[in-house]
Amino acid sequence: MPAWTWFELTIALAYLAGAALYPLGLGLRQPLCKKAASLASALGFLLHTVDLAAAGLLQADVLQHGQFYISLFAWLCVLLFFVAWWRFKHDFLSLITAPLAVVLFTGSMVIHPATAIVPEHLSLLWFGLHVGAIFVALALLALAFGAGVGYVYLERKIKTKSKIPSALQEMPALDTLDRVNALAVSVGFPLYSISMLAGFVWAAFTWKRVLTGDPKEIVSLGIWVLYAVLFHQRLALGWRGRKPAKMAIAIFLLSLGSLVLINFLLPTHHSLRAF
Amino acid sequence: MSQRIHVIGLSHKTAGVDIRERFALAGFNPVAAGLTQEHGPITEAVVLSTCNRVECIVVGEPGADVAHIVHQIWAQTCNQPVELLTQHTYCLNGAAAVAHVFSVAASLDSMVVGEPQILGQLKAAYRSAVEAHATRVILNRLLHKAFSTAKRVRTETAIASSAVSISYAAVELARKIFADLSRHSALLIGAGEMAELAATHLLAAGVQRMAVVNRTFSRAEELAKRFGGQAYGFDALSQALREADIVITSTGSPSVILTASQMREIMRSRRQRPIFFIDIAVPRDIDPDANAIDNVYVYDIDDLNGVVEENRASRQQEAIKAQAIIDEEVQAFLQWMDELRLQPTIVALLDQGERIARKELRKSIRQLGPDPDPQVVAIMERLAHSICHKIYHAPITYLKRRTQEEGSAERFIHQARRMFNLDGETPPEDAHDDRKRSR
Repeated sequence: MPAWTWFELTIALAYLAGAALYPLGLGLRQPLCKKAASLASALGFLLHTVDLAAAGLLQADVLQHGQFYISLFAWLCVLLFFVAWWRFKHDFLSLITAPLAVVLFTGSMVIHPATAIVPEHLSLLWFGLHVGAIFVALALLALAFGAGVGYVYLERKIKTKSKIPSALQEMPALDTLDRVNALAVSVGFPLYSISMLAGFVWAAFTWKRVLTGDPKEIVSLGIWVLYAVLFHQRLALGWRGRKPAKMAIAIFLLSLGSLVLINFLLPTHHSLRAF
Repeated sequence: MSQRIHVIGLSHKTAGVDIRERFALAGFNPVAAGLTQEHGPITEAVVLSTCNRVECIVVGEPGADVAHIVHQIWAQTCNQPVELLTQHTYCLNGAAAVAHVFSVAASLDSMVVGEPQILGQLKAAYRSAVEAHATRVILNRLLHKAFSTAKRVRTETAIASSAVSISYAAVELARKIFADLSRHSALLIGAGEMAELAATHLLAAGVQRMAVVNRTFSRAEELAKRFGGQAYGFDALSQALREADIVITSTGSPSVILTASQMREIMRSRRQRPIFFIDIAVPRDIDPDANAIDNVYVYDIDDLNGVVEENRASRQQEAIKAQAIIDEEVQAFLQWMDELRLQPTIVALLDQGERIARKELRKSIRQLGPDPDPQVVAIMERLAHSICHKIYHAPITYLKRRTQEEGSAERFIHQARRMFNLDGETPPEDAHDDRKRSR
C-alpha cells in the first residue's frame, strides 16, 4: 500500500476513534474517554488539513476529482464542529459530525481517484464560489441536522415529562440547540443562495445557458425554496424550536440524498464519478 | 499492633434532631480540647459537625480505649451526660471506619443520597483540623482519598445528576430549556412557601431578575422587594407574561388563570420565545392544554413529583455502582495502611543487616594489614552491602505479599520481628549459649 494511502487510513482511523469514543464516554460517564475522542478528532482534522493542502499543491487537476470534494466536505463538517464547540461551549454535536466525517472521508477514499469530470475550462472564481459556498452551507446544514435531532428528542422528553437517560443528561439545552439552527439558517442560506447564483453565472459563461435542465439543478432549486421558506419563517415570523429543527433535518437529508443519488448515480454534469 | 482508624459518631440514622442539636461540635478544636496529644492514645482527629451528623474520625494508638476517650471529651464539651451520648453513637474501626468515611464523602450515607453539600462540609472540617495541627500522615491520606473517591463516584455514576426536590427539579428543567439562566427572567404569580422556595432556588441558580404578580399589590411589592425585582398588579399579568421566561404560579384561584388560547396570543407577542411554567397551585393555575403549544412547557406539581420520584429511584440504583467504587478504594487504602505498618519493620531489617555487614567488614579489613589497598576495601564494602540487601530481599518481598492478605499483616510482622529479633528481646536465662552470644 503506498504511503499516501496509509496517511489517509490514519485520518479515517482518527475520525473513527473520535466517533466511537465520544458516545462511549457519554455512556460510561468517563470524561477522559470524551477528551480522548476530541483529541482523536483534532488529530484527524490536522492530518486531514495536511492531506487537503498537499492534494491542492501536488495535484494540478485536483478540482477535477470527486474525491477532493467529498473530502473537503468532511473537513468542513469537522471544522464547523470545532467552531460550534468554541461558540456554544458544548461538544455534543460530535455525536453527529464525527460519524459524518468518518462516512464522508472513507467515502472519498473509496471513490476512484482518477475520475475526471469537471470541464477543464473552469471559470475559477464562479466555479470556486459555487463549490466553496455550497460545501460550507452543507456542512452548516449538517450541524443544524445534528442540533435538530437533539432538539426534537429533548423537546419530546420535556413535553411528555419522561425521563432523560443518564447518558444524555449532559445534552445541551433546547436554547443552545436552537441557536445552532439559527446560525445554520442565517449563515447557511445566504451561502446556499450565493452558491446557486455563482453556479448559474458559471453555467452562463460555460454553456451560454443559465438553466440546463440538469437533475441536480432542479433538486437544488427545490431545496433552495425549502431553505428560503425556513429562512423567511425564522427571521421574519420568528419561528423557533421544533418546526425549524424538523425543517433543517428534512433539508439536510434531502441534500445528502441528492449528493449521494444525483452526484454519484445519475448522469449529470454535477457527477462526482465517471460513467 | 499498630495505629487504627476509628469513627465515633451519630447521624440522622441513629439520633433525632434534638439529640443531634445537643451534641453538635461546631468549631470544636481537637487539640485545644485535649482529644489529640503528641504521645497520647489519640494522635489524629477530624471532627465533622453538620445538621445531619456529628462524627469524630480519629487515629488511636494500639490498645487504647479510643471510643471511651472520645465519648468522655465529647459529652464534656457539650455539657451533656455521656450515657445519653453512647446510646446514640456508632463506633466503627479499621476497614469499616474507612468505608464509612468514603461513603459519607460520596454522599451515600446522606439523608438525600447524592446531595452535594456533605463533601464541602467534610472539606471544611478537614481544613480546620489541619489548621489546628490535629492531622498527620494517616488522616491526611484518608481524607484526600475520601475526596478523590467522592469525585470518582460523582463522575462515574449518575448519583448526583438528577434533582430530588421539587425546587431543584424545577431549576434543572429550566436549565434543560434555557441553558444559561442569567440571560432569562422569572415571574412569580401568587405566593406560598413552596413557590417562594422555588423562586429562591431560581435566583440562586442565576436568573437575571424576578418579577412578582399578586392579587394584593402590597404583598406583590413586599415579595418583589425581597427578591430585588419588580411588582405588578394582577391586571398587568399579560404584560408580565410577555417579558418572563420562567413562571412559577401558586395562586389560590379556584379555576385556571391562563387558558391555552390566551397563551397562544401571548406566544405570538413573545415572538415564540420559549416559556416554562412551574405550576404548583392546587387546583392548577395554568390550563394543561397550554403544554401542547410550541415552545410552551407546563409542569404541574404532580409532574414535578414524578420527576423527583424517578430521580430518587435512579439514585438508589446508582448508589449500588457507587458502592463498588468505594469498596475498591477502601481495599487500596487498607493496602497502603498495611504497607505503612510494614515500613518500620523493613527499615529495622535493613538496619540490622547493614550493622552486621559493617561489623564483619571491619574485622575483615583489619586482617588485610595496617595499610590495605583502598580499591580492595571499596570492593569489599560493595560486596558486603549488596550481600546484605540481597539476603533481605526475599523476606521483605514475602512480608509485603503476606501483609496484603486480609487480616494477616499483624501476625506476619510480629513473626518477622521476632524471627530477626528486631525488638532486642533479652534471651531467657536458660537460653542456649549461642543465642546469648548472638546478642
